[in-house]
Amino acid sequence: MTAVEQHPRHRLDELLQNPVRFSIVAALDRASTLSFKEVRDAVEVTDSALSKQVSLLEGAGYLTVGKSFAGKMPRTSLTLTKQGRAAWKSHLATLREIAGLE
Amino acid sequence: MENRTPVAPADARLLLDQADRLSRSAHNATRWPYITFILSLGVATSMGTLAMGLTTGNAFGLAYFGTLTATFALIMFFMISIRGRSAFSRGRRWTAYIAAWFVTYAAAISVVIWAHGSVLWSGITSALILLVTMACAAREARP
Repeated sequence: MTAVEQHPRHRLDELLQNPVRFSIVAALDRASTLSFKEVRDAVEVTDSALSKQVSLLEGAGYLTVGKSFAGKMPRTSLTLTKQGRAAWKSHLATLREIAGLE
Repeated sequence: MENRTPVAPADARLLLDQADRLSRSAHNATRWPYITFILSLGVATSMGTLAMGLTTGNAFGLAYFGTLTATFALIMFFMISIRGRSAFSRGRRWTAYIAAWFVTYAAAISVVIWAHGSVLWSGITSALILLVTMACAAREARP
């Protein structure tokens, strides 16, 4: 039996194919750590929609959620993990391959 | 499978553009107060430690209080300018920048204490502060 070469789309990260999750990780790509509010403003989604997708990314180990307080105000920060960055790089490399840029 | 649609080359190009644009705009909205601060901190502490290392008497006092005042003013300005954008300051990269500055600053202060008047050592350590902070600022400012 010979190995059949798969189309690169099969190598795309399933988690990052969701547009909101894709945008969240894109927003964190250069900065690495941003506040929940900054990511929400960049991605342009509601708090609840962002929160839901952040939980999924956190569950997959792609980002960590940090909690702190400024006085009585809670502050949430999102940080891209090594695993998340690796998945993101691989996802972008596959997209470049599909686009014919590599 | 969730959101599993075939990605055409044109779609892939659009996604890549979108990712680049989003990443750039999110970073741009945050990074400039941090770049300004690390650069100003480097210049102020580099000049300050050089002046402290090479002066005595009233001139030393002036350099000492001048450096302290400038550093305090910079920290105040920084704290105000990053309000609402402070998450980045808790990140690993910013911690590394501040740690790098602190190591060189501690070396320069050690020269002020133990090798006071040495033009060579004062020059080297103060230049190191400037070099390290400029490298951090350049790293953060790159497109």
